[in-house]
Amino acid sequence: MSQLRTTTQAPATPGVAGARKRGALRALWRHRWPLLFVSPFFILFAVFALYPIVFSLYLSFHEWRGIGAMRPVGLANYSRLFTDRIFWNAMQNALLLFFIYVPLMTFLAVVIATMLHGGFLKLQGMWRALIFMPHLTSMVAAGFTFRLILDTHSGFANRALTLLGASPIPWLDDMWWARISLGLLMIWAWLGYNTIIMLAGLQTIPTEVNEAAAVDGASRVQVFFRITVPLLKPVILFAVTLSIIGTFQLFTEPYILTGGGPMRATETPVMQIFSSTFANMRFGYAAAMSYVYFVTIVVLAIVQFRLVSRGDR
Amino acid sequence: MNKTVTQLLVMLIALLLVGAAAAQTPADALEPNPDLHATLEIWAWQGSGVDTFADAEFAEYYPNIQLNYVLRPTPDTYQQIQLAAVAGGGLPDISNIEDSHLRQFLELGILHDLTDRVEPYLPFMNEFKWGHVERDGRYYAMPNDSGPVALFYRRDIFERAGVDPEGIETWADYYDAAFVIMEETGVPMWQQAGARNSGRLFEILMWQRGLGYIDEDGNVLLDRDEGILEILEFMGRFWDDGLALDAEEWTDAWYRNFDEPNVATHPGAVWMGTFFKSWIAPDAAGNWGVIRLPAWEPGGSQASNDGGSSLVIFEQSTQKEAAWAYVEFHLGRTASQVQTFIASDIFPSLETAYDHPYFSEPDPYYGGQVVRRIFTDVVQEIPEAGIYNVDYQEMNGLMAEQIQRFATGQVSASEALSAAAREIRSRTGRR
Repeated sequence: MSQLRTTTQAPATPGVAGARKRGALRALWRHRWPLLFVSPFFILFAVFALYPIVFSLYLSFHEWRGIGAMRPVGLANYSRLFTDRIFWNAMQNALLLFFIYVPLMTFLAVVIATMLHGGFLKLQGMWRALIFMPHLTSMVAAGFTFRLILDTHSGFANRALTLLGASPIPWLDDMWWARISLGLLMIWAWLGYNTIIMLAGLQTIPTEVNEAAAVDGASRVQVFFRITVPLLKPVILFAVTLSIIGTFQLFTEPYILTGGGPMRATETPVMQIFSSTFANMRFGYAAAMSYVYFVTIVVLAIVQFRLVSRGDR
Repeated sequence: MNKTVTQLLVMLIALLLVGAAAAQTPADALEPNPDLHATLEIWAWQGSGVDTFADAEFAEYYPNIQLNYVLRPTPDTYQQIQLAAVAGGGLPDISNIEDSHLRQFLELGILHDLTDRVEPYLPFMNEFKWGHVERDGRYYAMPNDSGPVALFYRRDIFERAGVDPEGIETWADYYDAAFVIMEETGVPMWQQAGARNSGRLFEILMWQRGLGYIDEDGNVLLDRDEGILEILEFMGRFWDDGLALDAEEWTDAWYRNFDEPNVATHPGAVWMGTFFKSWIAPDAAGNWGVIRLPAWEPGGSQASNDGGSSLVIFEQSTQKEAAWAYVEFHLGRTASQVQTFIASDIFPSLETAYDHPYFSEPDPYYGGQVVRRIFTDVVQEIPEAGIYNVDYQEMNGLMAEQIQRFATGQVSASEALSAAAREIRSRTGRR
């Protein structure tokens, strides 16, 4: 399109534009086989990702029950979202959950990765496998197991607490405890994954830095906080960004563990999108929700990126 | 004179014929029809009972109709229907759908209009069922089963407490008995989750009084009816006074509490008895009994409904004649419905089935009580109520959340109801 305009608006150099166009075509033709071989990805991406993304945007300005005519409603879906308590509640849950588990999980991941990396432990391969194992477990199975363990009346956790003389905890029956229980499940499932990322990051830190610090008389704790963590910052930043996205996209874990309850304390944004679409058949409203969540995630990621990288300048 | 006698005789014979015909549905007179050729696909959820339909007999009547069943977990069934509807293809010929979900699909316009076919069956089915499948005087499904509700109680606990279940006539009596039972046996009266309440009991109690989320005009009723407030406050007293056992429905703890028994009663639909008998408490034979629901005021309604389903034919089906033959044979024919009931305890909506002697037999699981008769009485008195509607799932979710807040002491009963009503109004655009 822009090329077309260039040719019409700049008649003085038609030959240059034409040649460039011909050149591009020739380049395409020259690379036809590599392009053909990478095309499946782009075709699948266009059909299953790009099209739904664009269509959802279109959908978000309409009211639609899945079949039949779409009724254009302009910005009504968006304006309704801003007064929807359940929508903001899900947003708030995602934020709370993020603060409940991500800092602790990230910290533990760095500590464990440092221990695995530093050669403090024997049987390194076994420890690495063990720490990563939960991530490979089916989340549905793990969720059900956690639900059985944390059941207030008959769960193993409360039986153990009672045996120890403590009073039972309403793990899944109290709004705050339910969020904490969900955080526990998240840490259990994602700690290994984050540890592996940190471990990969640690490999990039030159050993000379650590050795020099040790020679200068720094303790292990000092090395950890003064050298490992600062040098690992880009990796930590990357892991936390993934966690932000992961928390806002959370579905399976709360769906199985708590069903979003009690009192919607653990209902996440995606669960809201899911029930708006599949239980209530409000496709347009759900699409508007998806877009608002998307913008929120982008904004959060940028803010977090700015906050953390500010110290570098 | 002679003429008058003849006239009277003719009238009498006509009346007798009509009377006899009333107990005979059109499907009871069906003739075998080998001319219908089709392969029907039928969707249902696991445990819906369609796998106990009288298909062997159906094959004798319609030897050239093949049946292909697809059974899925309940939520999957509905999602598959939705996805197929949105995709514009891939729907089966027939599906079994719970009445709680039916209205959503009806409003989508994907169900075949069955008005002409089901009209002969209008007088033969539980009257309240037709309200679920009708829109603007047209009918879009054929009723399959109903969920008449009664009060299941543990005979052993009532005996230990010295409480006569037959003496419980109103919910006030029930509340008093709960105190005695707690004092004498230490067992709570019912299982009702607080923080994880599903809203089902609340719906049962509303339905009993002909109340619901909405009134006949579709306007939200929750915060406009004293009776609804009374129901929620009544439930609240059991939590406040420690007479309710807090366990989430459909969990292992919940099942175990019925079996142990850690609970004295359960207000539940007929299918719950099936579950007690078959897998929740199979060893408790003789220990369960059934009485009708306590009334809200002496002489008031003692009938309610929970659940129930219907069969639909999709507009997409290209074999509607054969599909209707299947639906009519299984749901309109007395012998088929009786057979299904005996095989699976799926309680027929077809009232001619209730004349079968099986309904009058004593049931050893209930200590020889003639339990089925109670449910046939209840089912014919179920009032119409604004519970199942196109927005039912959303309403149930919003109300359940408020019941949870109420049960955990965060809001009062009237605050819970007005909050739920307000949110239902803003989300569904109702008044």
